[in-house]
Amino acid sequence: MSRIHIEAASKRFDKVTAVDQVTLDIEHGEFLVLLGPSGCGKSTLLRAIAGLTPLTEGRITLGDKDITHTPPRDRDLAMVFQSYALYPHLSVARNIGFPLRARRRPKAEIREKVEQVARTLDLSALLDRRPRELSGGQRQRVALGRALVRDPGAFLMDEPLSNLDAKLRTATRAELSELHRRLGSTFVYVTHDQVEAMTMATRIALLNGGKLEQVGSPTEVYDRPASAFVAGFLGSPAMNLLDARVVSREGRLHAVAEDVDVALDITGELSDQDSQDVVLGIRPEHLRIGGAHPGLRGVVRLVENLGSEELAHVVVGDARVCLRGSRPLDLATGDAVTLSAAPQHIHLFHRESGKRLVWRDESPTANRAAVELDYSAP
Amino acid sequence: MLMEITGPPKAPPVTAERPSPLRRVLRGAPPYLYLAPGLALLVIWTYRPLTQTAELSFHSWNLLPTTPMVPVGFANYERLLDLPDLGQATLRTLVVILGLLPFSVLIPVVVGLLSRQVRGRGKAVYQAMVFAPMLVAPVASAAVWRWLLDPGGGAVNRVLGIDLNWLYETGSAQFSIIVITGWHILGFAVLVVSAGLAGISGDYGDAASLDGASRWQITRWITLPLLSPTLVFLTLMTVLLSAQWTFPLIDTLTQGGPADSTTNVYYLLWDYSFHSYDAGLGAAAGMLLFAGFGIIAAGLVWLAERLSFHDN
Repeated sequence: MSRIHIEAASKRFDKVTAVDQVTLDIEHGEFLVLLGPSGCGKSTLLRAIAGLTPLTEGRITLGDKDITHTPPRDRDLAMVFQSYALYPHLSVARNIGFPLRARRRPKAEIREKVEQVARTLDLSALLDRRPRELSGGQRQRVALGRALVRDPGAFLMDEPLSNLDAKLRTATRAELSELHRRLGSTFVYVTHDQVEAMTMATRIALLNGGKLEQVGSPTEVYDRPASAFVAGFLGSPAMNLLDARVVSREGRLHAVAEDVDVALDITGELSDQDSQDVVLGIRPEHLRIGGAHPGLRGVVRLVENLGSEELAHVVVGDARVCLRGSRPLDLATGDAVTLSAAPQHIHLFHRESGKRLVWRDESPTANRAAVELDYSAP
Repeated sequence: MLMEITGPPKAPPVTAERPSPLRRVLRGAPPYLYLAPGLALLVIWTYRPLTQTAELSFHSWNLLPTTPMVPVGFANYERLLDLPDLGQATLRTLVVILGLLPFSVLIPVVVGLLSRQVRGRGKAVYQAMVFAPMLVAPVASAAVWRWLLDPGGGAVNRVLGIDLNWLYETGSAQFSIIVITGWHILGFAVLVVSAGLAGISGDYGDAASLDGASRWQITRWITLPLLSPTLVFLTLMTVLLSAQWTFPLIDTLTQGGPADSTTNVYYLLWDYSFHSYDAGLGAAAGMLLFAGFGIIAAGLVWLAERLSFHDN
């Protein structure tokens, strides 16, 4: 069993906190993606799991074993580096066989294992080459082969696809998912690329400024972002986020701002002083042109043709929203347009903390309206 | 009927007007102008003396401007090869090179590997301390070492509790020259090794440690092979420059003695020219050295090329 358990892990470099109190449970067989922008601490966290960067605080266990202070070589983990770190003076065969050679396995066994791995990764013809004679994709496969050659407790991968061109990246993504399915072992994968995260992960852990923002399946993270940061990070283009105010009108809540009046799917009463500043979030693909009760009014600034779809940038009040729909949208620059979105596709976030807001129904007698919009994560 | 669509229209070939020849020359000139000062210095200080030496090696001359140079053909070379001096000096040069290799390669590698643990400000202080002997003028250090090695009350004899006349006995004189020169160049070599180690991406060591290699295995299988271009460079420097590095010490401490036991090839050719005033013989020795070291250097450069790994 290779369940990785990270408890309150923190890493500080002088005054900078790279990883801040992260607690994360990675089950056996999971494909967990650590996702976040540059400098969010995802690579530091991965290197801490690998044992290359010691934690300032916290504990890491692999299976039942506390490995917080175990040196990397005794951790039973394999890692694929962003640079691949192929030993430049060794042939492909010697690179792949290195982990076995370091463990002093017999030569015949090493040769057999290397050939077996090379066959699965389609590297058999390249075994005698040096890394510098390989293309980017081939190097990536050799790095993968070096991780595969022994049967490690878990695979750690640090942005392994970032040096590949777009086409190869798409193909390798599928291969990695397939490999994960076949091996059934634990993968911890670091990336800043949301497409890699969405397509390969069984679970995504989103980090921001060293803190864990949300952990969940790709569907959960995309459909119910726990914070405005997550909402703004995922999706291409990301979710439209507008400053608005929640008020009640005739027993229903509305999010209002300049040129915005969106009816929410919430029945409730808020007195004037209880109305709350929020961030209103709607995904570009959930915005519709027109509709019976249009909630947004604006002017088209730009229409972009993506081939299969079109993107329209619309100025609403002093904000800019993006609308995505199949071609043709029949919009042109300068058009006045009304937009609507289904209530179930509307997200609310706290203005200061950025946390997701949910409506908690209370008995109408208890008049605690503002607090009812609490921001506990669902 | 189905028809192929027409592609973008093709234009007839067009030739752009070429600038005038003068303009082209002026535009091409800057790289050569940048090279010119360096080339001029090289010609004045290296190639011109080299050709003059080659010319001198076929003449007999006693360095006096009033005495004419007498052409003697290959006589200087014949004398040089007949005399036992050159062979013996070459052998001694070989001893010096072998004696200096531990100081220029072996110890620096050990120090470089161990001192990787030193970080921050400590590292700079440490490297400055190791490098300091390089900054002491050889003649000044020779004076200090002569005093330290004094057979009467020198510190070395007192510490070792022996009574050895270091600089005036055949075996110990050569040994002293080697150790003092080694002490001089050690800091420089450590600095070169540290730079070489810093140039090796930390990812290799990290990857190897996750692959299960011990620290010793990482050093032997990863670090040292990747450091080999640096080591070949240091070996090359030692082979080519040992005789020159030792020269100021030999000249101030032993003058090639006792009984020629510290006379290496450089000291020998200097001795021919400026002690015996046989400039032709000195020039001939210089030309032979130039050819010999040239071949060795070419071999080592070829080896360095073969050993360098271009990663990424």
